[in-house]
Amino acid sequence: MEVLRLQNLQKSFGSVRALKNASFALKEGEVVALLGDNGAGKSTLIKAISGVFPADRGDIYVRGEKVSIRSTRDAMDLGIETIHQDTSLAPDLSIARNLFLGREPVKLKWLGVFAPLDFAKLRDAASALLKRVGISKKLDADALVLTLSGGERQSIAISRAMQFAAKVIILDEPTNNLGVEETHGVLRFVKEVRDAGHSVLLITHNIHHVFQVADRIIVMRRGEIVAEQTVADTDLLTVESIITGADMSALLKETRAK
Amino acid sequence: MIAAEDEMPVGKRRSSLIRSPQFSSLVILIVLLAIFAIADANFLSPLNISNMMAFLPELGIIALGMTLLLTAGEFDLSVGAVFGLAPVVVMLLVQNGGVDIGFALLAGLLLCVAIGAINGLIVTKIGISSFLVTLSMLLVVRGAALYITQGFPLKSWDQPGFFVTLLAGSFNVGSFRFYTSLWWFIGLSLLAIYVLRYAKLGNWISAIGSNRNAAVARGVPADAVKVWLFILTSVLAGLAGMISAFRISAASPVAGTGYELEVIAMVVVGGTALTGGRGTILGTIVGALMLRAIRNGIVLIGVPGLAYNIFVGLIILAMLILHALLQKNAARG
Repeated sequence: MEVLRLQNLQKSFGSVRALKNASFALKEGEVVALLGDNGAGKSTLIKAISGVFPADRGDIYVRGEKVSIRSTRDAMDLGIETIHQDTSLAPDLSIARNLFLGREPVKLKWLGVFAPLDFAKLRDAASALLKRVGISKKLDADALVLTLSGGERQSIAISRAMQFAAKVIILDEPTNNLGVEETHGVLRFVKEVRDAGHSVLLITHNIHHVFQVADRIIVMRRGEIVAEQTVADTDLLTVESIITGADMSALLKETRAK
Repeated sequence: MIAAEDEMPVGKRRSSLIRSPQFSSLVILIVLLAIFAIADANFLSPLNISNMMAFLPELGIIALGMTLLLTAGEFDLSVGAVFGLAPVVVMLLVQNGGVDIGFALLAGLLLCVAIGAINGLIVTKIGISSFLVTLSMLLVVRGAALYITQGFPLKSWDQPGFFVTLLAGSFNVGSFRFYTSLWWFIGLSLLAIYVLRYAKLGNWISAIGSNRNAAVARGVPADAVKVWLFILTSVLAGLAGMISAFRISAASPVAGTGYELEVIAMVVVGGTALTGGRGTILGTIVGALMLRAIRNGIVLIGVPGLAYNIFVGLIILAMLILHALLQKNAARG
């Protein structure tokens, strides 16, 4: 079952064509890694999907239906949750408040933005969620996010994406600035997310991580998708050469000869 | 801290309350009050307390708006100038334009809405720091007040009536004399506490100041919230200016000079972070009381008038150092 399809997505900033022509599809319950060097257009692509800015041209389909994504709210309502690197949580707020930021459970809904938060519901839902994703032992829903480690913060951000039954979870460099132990924790978590039936689009610089968790690899270069392969059908060196665009076949032969 | 304390189990809540910035401010306020009371018996006299309570709401009301704005990561240097301009415009409309006092007050407040909206829109849409935008606005607004009055103070509305009672009426409790402005301050404080701590909007305000991108990514309309907070702060500054002008029956174009820094001092002394994300209305109330008590107390205990800003500055500095140390400790713990 296809959950997300992009068709000829294009985006320019002035005379710079950041995204020339991107098309690909994401299936239910798969982890697709989006690779590419700096400036390849990865960020532009995910920003267009997550509603940070709309694409100039091209179509987006969610579960076969053509959709229009004009804002982050549109994307969230369609079940597309994006976790931006280092920017997804408010450190001065508690875990519970962060988990429901922008979708706060309230009483007296008619009061609009002045409606009081439903603290009991907030706390219960947060605890239940932390328990469900298996991080309840250590973390208190009332703890401030600034007291958490980088890996814990990523796990919280990913859990938040899961809680709204997101169809597609976009992870932008989730292991940046993390230690070895924490990186493994987050990668393990990505697998759990997939096993729970969510599709994951993983943006990363680290090819090793890709081979640990991804089912499929998409490589971008200069605003275009230049390769699409299943992980089983490729290897590290091939992918690296596609990313850089350099001919590494000579190197490849040399390595194999050894 | 605002985010956490009402959601914690009792034991933890108590320890976090003691470590919270507003609590340490409160302790210092009590110590200061005790020192002043011992040094000069008149400090706690009904007359002196009445005096302090007459001034307190005027700066305190502005400080409430400033707390919310600072929590969202912005601040407003034009509040002192707006405090001066708003009543001047009202009295000019009444005296030279023959406008009804009620309409004149409304026009004054609408002017404040416009000033706040301009501040907010330039800060959010063009992306210039609020320091620069509101500093420029300070000059424009103060300059406007001086120009339209030609620099002369105006006689304010002094005929008894509904609006005078509403803004600057007074009442006696025993030998204490209080102004209605105290009710305004108490009412607005309760509202601000509710909004920041318990309402959905307060969650947004803290999140915007803590990590704007995160809030925006969750669909929080950060720019709109900021613009409304600039408007709120401006309106509260104008309201405070009107209250002050009615109380002393004069509207001076230079009224409120330097209030912006005094108000910001009240807010940060109370424990609100200048960098956004963490705000406390209770702390601001303590901060407002503290600065009022310091200004009043050090005159009473005989510090020479020209030297007293030295002491005010030093006490503020000591408070900020204390908050910084507490914060470091909390981070380590």
